[in-house]
Amino acid sequence: MLPDVLIANFGYLLRGAVVTVGLAAATIVPSAVIGMLLALAKVFGGITVRAIVDVYLYVIRGVPLLVLLFFMYYALPYSGIDVPPLFGGVLVMSLYFGAFMAEIFRAAILSLPRAQWDAARSLGMRRRLMFRIVIYPQVFRLAAPPFVNTCILLVKSTSLVSIISLWELTLAGREVAERTFAPLQIFGGVAIIYFVLCYALSRYGLYLEERMRFAH
Amino acid sequence: MPTELTAHERPMVELRRVSMSFGRHRVLNDVSLTVSRGEMVAIIGPSGSGKTTLLRCINFLEEYDGGEVLVDGETVGFRLEAGRRIRRTEREIAATRSNIGIVFQSYNLFPHMTVLRNITAAPIRVKGVSPEEAEARARALLSRIGLLEKADELPVKLSGGQQQRVAIARALAMQPKVMLFDEVTSALDPELVGEVLAVMKSLADDGMTMVVVTHEMQFAREIANRIVFMDEGAIVEEGDPKRLFSAPTTERLRAFLKRYRESYLLS
Repeated sequence: MLPDVLIANFGYLLRGAVVTVGLAAATIVPSAVIGMLLALAKVFGGITVRAIVDVYLYVIRGVPLLVLLFFMYYALPYSGIDVPPLFGGVLVMSLYFGAFMAEIFRAAILSLPRAQWDAARSLGMRRRLMFRIVIYPQVFRLAAPPFVNTCILLVKSTSLVSIISLWELTLAGREVAERTFAPLQIFGGVAIIYFVLCYALSRYGLYLEERMRFAH
Repeated sequence: MPTELTAHERPMVELRRVSMSFGRHRVLNDVSLTVSRGEMVAIIGPSGSGKTTLLRCINFLEEYDGGEVLVDGETVGFRLEAGRRIRRTEREIAATRSNIGIVFQSYNLFPHMTVLRNITAAPIRVKGVSPEEAEARARALLSRIGLLEKADELPVKLSGGQQQRVAIARALAMQPKVMLFDEVTSALDPELVGEVLAVMKSLADDGMTMVVVTHEMQFAREIANRIVFMDEGAIVEEGDPKRLFSAPTTERLRAFLKRYRESYLLS
């Protein structure tokens, strides 16, 4: 039922998909860490720290990811800084998605009832312990659905790095399409693979949401 | 420091001219109060009179601006050095709090932990009690409040009254010197109030030192050793419950009790 040209090249595309998943995974972890650090800085930082974080968030949110990638790939080498594309790509995407994760974690931290902090403190918990056993577990649960949502965006955005010559699913598709003169079938196949990846993620998000539902 | 007093005579809680403002609003105005060992003091008064703030100063959830708070002879939150107030370290403040139990109006159980873990977490992680002992203690407390069979449930599965009893058990598991209660029945459906008050009464009978902010006048009158009436950030009148309710000496307390009785009759 799939066109022969797609079946013949499916293995190649799947190898691209594996790289895409790897890129996404390599980006999700640092962007979550960056997001949490920025969120903590915004909630608990002094006025200077908050201002710096705000500037960062506005800049990142106001500039397209593709432009940031171009900046890293074309502009930085000009000024003598040479970033390897794979490292640079992951770095730029982490900084970019970190800004969005920051908002997610910040909202989650702020939506924890004040009373939870009071309860933890009143039991003699010090800051580190309170965060570890009371605050973070609840923040992660509250943040899980929008976090997964952002991960879906992130998976799709990895296709942009094909433009800075990082080989992954989209670039694999372009190569095959140019070689076979069958862009319709090939990009159709590429689209289906992206869709399956993202659909699996969003089902997982729904599952998390179901499982972690509890009232305050 | 009243070092000449023996540990037994020393008051459990002592507030000396405590004052506190939120912005320009003065919530506590030079409040002084002494609570003896084993005493149960009920604080009553209209909303906004500073009762809850006063209670939260005792375990330093509110950082009072002036005066001194002592629990078992130790100053809470600040220490005085050559007449200057110096904020204690986070470690010292946490250590002080671990000896003071508080129960809140909104229960504030940790929703992601089972009932048992709610009770054992702080004794294990803060006081270094062994997990086995903490669990044994928690089960004993749960059976005392009649909720042993709920040990492995999440709080959300419990009624408000049950959650509040667990919150009391959680505070007791730290073996506190004093227990603070902040309008603990105000969020409960009327039919659930009794079970929580019963637990508090049994605590008082056991000789626990208790400071109870409450709207339950009947309860305060029957259980408290002393009633403190607050209004506009100050203690207006205090004394023996029966005397205070039957023969208030201040106009403000008379007015408060009258309003209370009227609303009680209407409801």
